[in-house]
Amino acid sequence: MVIRQGVHDARLTLARQPLTCQLVMDAPGDLDLVNAPAVAGAYDELRDRAQVRPQWQTLNDYLRRLGARGMGLRYEQARRLIRENGVTYNVYGDAHGLDRPWQLDPLPLMLSAAEWDGLARGIAQRARLVETVIADAYGTQRLLKEGGLDPALLFAHPAFLRACHGIQPPGGRWLHFYAADLVRGTDGAWRVLADRTQAPAGAGYALENRIVLSRALSDGYRQCGVQRLAGFFIAMRRTLSVLASRLKTRQDNPRIVLLTPGPYNETYFEHAYLARYLGYTLVEGGDLTVRDDQVFLKTLGGLHRVDVILRRLDDDFCDPLELRNDSTLGVAGLAAAARAGNVVIANALGSGIGENAALMPSLPRLCRLLFNEDLTLPAVETLWGGDAAGRLRERFDDLVIRPAFGSVRAPARRGGELDGEERERMLMRLNTLPHTLVGQVAQAPSITPVWSEGTFATRSLVLRVFAVASDDGGYCVMPGGLARIANENQPWAVSFQRGGGSKDTWVLADGPVAPVTLLRPSGAPVEFKRGGSDLPSRVADNLYWLGRYGARAEDAARVLRAALTRLAGDQEVGTDQGLQTALRVLKHQGVLSKPASDSATLEAQLLDLLFSEAISFSLRSVVGRLHYAAFSSRDRLSYDTWRIINHLDQDLSPDVKPERAIDALPLLDRLVLDLAAFAGMTTENTTRGPGWRFLDLGRRLERATFTAELVRGALVPRVDETALDAVLEIADSAITYRARYLLSLQVPPVVDLLLCDSTNPRSMAFQFERIADHVAALPRAPQALPTPAERLALGAYTWVRLVDPQELSREDETGERSHLAHVLDHLSSDLTLLSDTVTTQYLSHATTTRQPSVGPE
Amino acid sequence: MTKYRVSHTTTYRYGEPVTVSHNVLHLAPANTPRQRVESFTLDITPAPAVQHTRADYFGNRVDCFTVQDQHHQLIVRAESVLDVEPAFALDAHVTGAWEQMRDHLHHPQGDDEVLASEYRFDSPMVPTGPEYAAYAAESFTPGRALLDAALDLVHRINTGFVYDQKATMVTTTVPEVFVKRRGVCQDFAHFGIACLRSLGLAARYVSGYLETQPPPGQPKLVGVDASHAWMSLWCPGIGWIGLDPTNDCLASDRHLIVAVGRDFTDISPTKGVILGGGTHEVHAVVDVSRI
Repeated sequence: MVIRQGVHDARLTLARQPLTCQLVMDAPGDLDLVNAPAVAGAYDELRDRAQVRPQWQTLNDYLRRLGARGMGLRYEQARRLIRENGVTYNVYGDAHGLDRPWQLDPLPLMLSAAEWDGLARGIAQRARLVETVIADAYGTQRLLKEGGLDPALLFAHPAFLRACHGIQPPGGRWLHFYAADLVRGTDGAWRVLADRTQAPAGAGYALENRIVLSRALSDGYRQCGVQRLAGFFIAMRRTLSVLASRLKTRQDNPRIVLLTPGPYNETYFEHAYLARYLGYTLVEGGDLTVRDDQVFLKTLGGLHRVDVILRRLDDDFCDPLELRNDSTLGVAGLAAAARAGNVVIANALGSGIGENAALMPSLPRLCRLLFNEDLTLPAVETLWGGDAAGRLRERFDDLVIRPAFGSVRAPARRGGELDGEERERMLMRLNTLPHTLVGQVAQAPSITPVWSEGTFATRSLVLRVFAVASDDGGYCVMPGGLARIANENQPWAVSFQRGGGSKDTWVLADGPVAPVTLLRPSGAPVEFKRGGSDLPSRVADNLYWLGRYGARAEDAARVLRAALTRLAGDQEVGTDQGLQTALRVLKHQGVLSKPASDSATLEAQLLDLLFSEAISFSLRSVVGRLHYAAFSSRDRLSYDTWRIINHLDQDLSPDVKPERAIDALPLLDRLVLDLAAFAGMTTENTTRGPGWRFLDLGRRLERATFTAELVRGALVPRVDETALDAVLEIADSAITYRARYLLSLQVPPVVDLLLCDSTNPRSMAFQFERIADHVAALPRAPQALPTPAERLALGAYTWVRLVDPQELSREDETGERSHLAHVLDHLSSDLTLLSDTVTTQYLSHATTTRQPSVGPE
Repeated sequence: MTKYRVSHTTTYRYGEPVTVSHNVLHLAPANTPRQRVESFTLDITPAPAVQHTRADYFGNRVDCFTVQDQHHQLIVRAESVLDVEPAFALDAHVTGAWEQMRDHLHHPQGDDEVLASEYRFDSPMVPTGPEYAAYAAESFTPGRALLDAALDLVHRINTGFVYDQKATMVTTTVPEVFVKRRGVCQDFAHFGIACLRSLGLAARYVSGYLETQPPPGQPKLVGVDASHAWMSLWCPGIGWIGLDPTNDCLASDRHLIVAVGRDFTDISPTKGVILGGGTHEVHAVVDVSRI
């Protein structure tokens, strides 16, 4: 796996400001969907016997007016929105080590209201049926015992979690979220390729697609009259709140969290995005704990009870005590809390058994048996080895052979396409373990136009649709969905992991479209809130390090800039006191222990300190850690903050590494500006809650530490004016100094400015004042005495305010300022202690481990 | 009828304090037609904040508890008194041909058989595969009576594998045991189950105790001062039949049943997750005596 970065999400504000750059031009007439290439042997979404279908006509009229150039501009705009919003999809094992930007085709898939109504009813019915089968498996198992279902369909399914049998989920709901992948056959009928019941992904991407496209094609979107997606998310919120209100441990404001496996997960972007959109706290397993069979969120202010867990973590990973005991992502005791009825888990633990290709052939019969209805949305023709091994063998070469249970990621290939050895293995398996295989008819998907290199092309398509449990016991279907298109080279394999793209799906409305949005709930009185609540300790930890790395990167950039500027000058390395000062600071920091004496080697050393990923304290490495800390708290950072962080990463990308010091200088200037922008953004645009306090605390601690190192490294030996000049430049205090003292450069006033003067925002006194303010405001048990962190911060602050800079700067008999060195060493160790104290008190987490176990002998 | 007293004490010691400890126990002996539990007591120090008893999916009694006070040591003492009836004498040749029994199980009739069919399939620690089917095939010759063949398999495991407490751990997998041909009762039971399931038969894992001190005139059995494990095979028309590959015998009235499951992971005698703890050690003492 690769660490991904990506960006965040407050695109919602954008959706409210539709783009106003109307194209004022005559219809260029160079674009018409009817000219999109046709493909024989597949259902054409766009055309019926060479005529554009009615649901595409308004869009086509719009495109004809827009013309190829206009469309190209709109496409670029959509791509820019996605890039800047940082919409990403993590591809496992991607060699680039970068997020894959989300691929969105600017042409939506068009569906008529009438067709959609039938399809939506089918989706809801299928979700209801699958939920009934799941409930039976974890309850009475009547279907198995009375012959409704072959027992192997359940017992052989690895996702059947025995520990969850007998749990009665609140409201009797097992399947809160259901998704299905659909293909349309040549006969025009949609059929199900796969049911998704574990923790279906994609609804957030569908929403993001809609927000981007409705902005990029805003006029076309309005003209078409498209059904809104927000109703689906409103239903989702309502269902979860209603279920929370039925808990016996209910509280007035139910706390709902979105449980993510973490930033390494392929759809982490979506988790952060949905959490923000729905207003839920994004948590990882380590943020939750179970006490008294109830679930709690660990926050800075203590434990807060959790009522609902919207989970994006697979159920078997959810509880290392009763489910997979090797899981490090779950919450020990969660199954017991669910069993006690104290928490709503959506989807319920165990819902993964609904992802069962082997069940597909039985669903039409079960639908009649259970509901006395015909199944209106069947699957593609599927043969299960458990009851049709003979027919499966006969048609082996023509069918797509898949594992019956589990891995939906397994490549879908027809028996005839398997190579000799693989084919033998599958045939052997069909003989010995027939119930583990299914064969599905390889259905040619329908085709649809896409925008490619300035014109229309045609691709195959799979549509993922979504349903959410409604509070009347049924399902509410999202009017639209996530259409996925095949990669050009792999028409059969429609998969994001293999590099396909996506489309928005526009379901036309029958009448006028009512504006529905989650952003402006009308009517209901709103409870006012101030300040931040629910800050998980893990997030505070990330913000603290984000602050530290931000300041560390800026300080490192300033030292390196000071060194490289002087190296690029015409003085000898050994005689330039400014350069030697910067090198002494680097040496004192332990960053560059042996600076070379010849300029060519030194230049290479300094450039390595900028760019080398192999050096853990290089600027590139620090920015990498900054990026990761930001990525892990992305749901807490504004959209603009993210743009700056993305810039930082681009500033130091290996592609731009210069050969010479002089070429690195513009880059360092840009970096210093970007880091200043990052600092400004976090100062100006972050709510003054506990999250901001940790961010700023990290920043101040880092800056104080650096300033101590700077003065200690630079000013302890006897120095000349050039050296003082370098110190003031690195500490960005030259202007203040000159304004006060004009040209007379002396050590005591420099020491005063950098250590004692609390009006200088770069001074240690300034940092300590802020640190003291922050630690006093952190949550703590009520008590009269100051905490150890407060004592340290106040002590250091008072000391730097009261010390006499003249006295501090006095040289001893050897010409060194040993008193200054001693004092700075003392302050540095106080800072380390302060950081440890805060970390232990608020941020450290005892790790969860398995109790050792004794086996039978 | 024989009356036994069993005591099973597990002691955990931690290098650093533990703040929360969630535990699940399968320590209470089962009530079966041949085995009746007279008393069972559980004594946990420090005292748990939460404690429940329930039946798990496989019908075993489970005791769950959570300690929420900070502690450096946790002691779990289980004591039981139980009566065990002697096993019925079984003629290994009266069971039908094994293939017939297998085919029967693929179309289970009645609740018992439907539930037994669950034990035909792979489980977390027991995979099935052609290599195990091939090993078993030497015993399961065409038309051979089911129990006769199964006892032959048990005999081959007993003689072909070396009992070695150092060779494996609780997490050792079946393929590893098959390669090493060494292990303890858990490994032999898992391997035997893999063989039986790979043929399409239903076999489950049994956790319990063994009376190791022999009554006069009977041989001493292997498995000292620890819990024991064996397997059990579904014979249509008869029910579950216990087979002990470690001792090359049918389970007898000296095998005391605690729990049944698909494999060790379902019914580990003790398991838990702790917060904190640092380095930790565990020590278990089991004593089985006739009274």
